[in-house]
Amino acid sequence: MRYLATTLLKNEKLMHIARTALGAAALLGALAAPGLAAADQPIFDAKVLAAACANCHGTDGRSPGSIPSIAGRPEAILKQQLQAFKSDTPPAGTTVMNRLAKGLSDQQIDALAQHFSQISRSSSAQEVAKQ
Amino acid sequence: MSQSRQFSRRQWLTTVGKATAAGAALMLAPTYARGAAGKVVVVGGGFGGATAAKYIKRRNPAIEVTLIEPAKTYYTCPFTNLYFGGLRTFEQQGHGFDELRSLGVNVVHDFASGVDTGAKTVSLAGGQTLPYDRLLLSPGIDFRWNALEGYDEAASKLAPHAWKAGEQTRILKQQLEAMPDGGTFLMVAPANPFRCPPGPYERVSMVAHYLKHNKPKSKILILDAKDAFSKQGLFQAGWDRFYGDLIEWVPLSKDGKVVRVDAANLSVETEFGEIHKADVLNVIPPQKAGAIAEIAGVTNESGWVPVKALTFESELVSDIYVVGDATIASPMPKSGFSANAQAKVAAAAIVSSLAGNPPAIASFANTCYSLIAPDYGISVAATYQIEDGKIVEASGGVSPADADDTFRKLEAEYGVAWYQAIAQDSWGTRA
Repeated sequence: MRYLATTLLKNEKLMHIARTALGAAALLGALAAPGLAAADQPIFDAKVLAAACANCHGTDGRSPGSIPSIAGRPEAILKQQLQAFKSDTPPAGTTVMNRLAKGLSDQQIDALAQHFSQISRSSSAQEVAKQ
Repeated sequence: MSQSRQFSRRQWLTTVGKATAAGAALMLAPTYARGAAGKVVVVGGGFGGATAAKYIKRRNPAIEVTLIEPAKTYYTCPFTNLYFGGLRTFEQQGHGFDELRSLGVNVVHDFASGVDTGAKTVSLAGGQTLPYDRLLLSPGIDFRWNALEGYDEAASKLAPHAWKAGEQTRILKQQLEAMPDGGTFLMVAPANPFRCPPGPYERVSMVAHYLKHNKPKSKILILDAKDAFSKQGLFQAGWDRFYGDLIEWVPLSKDGKVVRVDAANLSVETEFGEIHKADVLNVIPPQKAGAIAEIAGVTNESGWVPVKALTFESELVSDIYVVGDATIASPMPKSGFSANAQAKVAAAAIVSSLAGNPPAIASFANTCYSLIAPDYGISVAATYQIEDGKIVEASGGVSPADADDTFRKLEAEYGVAWYQAIAQDSWGTRA
């Protein structure tokens, strides 16, 4: 199985197909059967990182209460805000976000900002957009 | 999203099939005898189970997900303290399962009574047997009856724990309302680990709020089996400010450990033989993982469940994932928030595993708000990551000791907003 995977990856034509259809990471995933060493190497998934925000900011970052919604806000603003929370001088009125953002790397902040900026502000808006 | 991805994969496999030996390509796709995308059974409809079922379906709607939960409406333990304080109704903590049904989750109101890890089936008290490819248990806690002498299930009717929401919550509330002015509310607080570390102290705060306004001559006594507790400095400063000497906390080192309970006489005896008499006796007993975890063979000698930090798969039985209070996940606390966070990591891991993909890098957060008085909230917050296969705190801390009243009021409001958000995230309900 591993030999097969290596052979497939060496084939440039297949690599191209794989990139266009799924992406190289997904190809590796599709090839790795459970139990193989490759299956044990964790991969980065922005959705898993972002899911930890939903506990307070609502599913997909759409807040049902007074905690601010983060869905659909501009990427640059989200990034700036998270960096401000992470800094040693968080914005006035900060309660928990400085304690939480300190644990985020710059790469994680970038990924979160990008992730939430790409989600529409409301689920109904998303449905309208689909139609 | 997932459907289009499925389609892409099928297309891709077809292409590969043409380019190479078709047979070899077919070998690559994981197959399940029981269904194309796999079957997942989730046991428990609390923060962990409901969230897991929802997030598995969101990631891959083709996976068949069955949720087993006896209650048609699940009542959360978080925020029942505000019910004791007279700030919320009991019903406000109730959540149904309509959103999960709308996502295609098969919600079965029954009690999971057995797990056959060889045949990979779950049996229900109602007689049904359900096959699974992956099983997720979110069983919460059970009590170690009689670990504290004299405190068994019968005793809990007289001296309620109210540490699982439901009938117990109502009994304690009724007793509190029936208590005479000048009476003693006695809480027996457990040693670590236990569900909701700040919970006993928030409860005491809310009971004190009720007594101060309704029965001001009364007293609260906490007999504690430990010498320190969550957010201790903030709690004690808040108690001094709002309740004066209404609350007395007796730690382990000052003979706070209760060793015997006489529920019929509403009295307890401490380690060094002192007898304390109560008008309302709230005993929070020693705990362990919910029974189904033990039945499935995923608990160790501690009574709790060791899990792989990256996926929350059991360390002892493969294809069984366990989340929430039942697990050994320290430094994450046993909280509804932790259960919800762990459930999303486990859900992603299950979906990946069924597709034959590696798991995602896990990351978790937890924030526990506690209310000391109506406009006075405090919190502990942390993020967690995995290092060398173990969960470690990446950042965190408690509310500042010198915060002003505006800050405390904001944290009281955010506590309510947190509950609304996590209720929506777990059950899709408005709280």
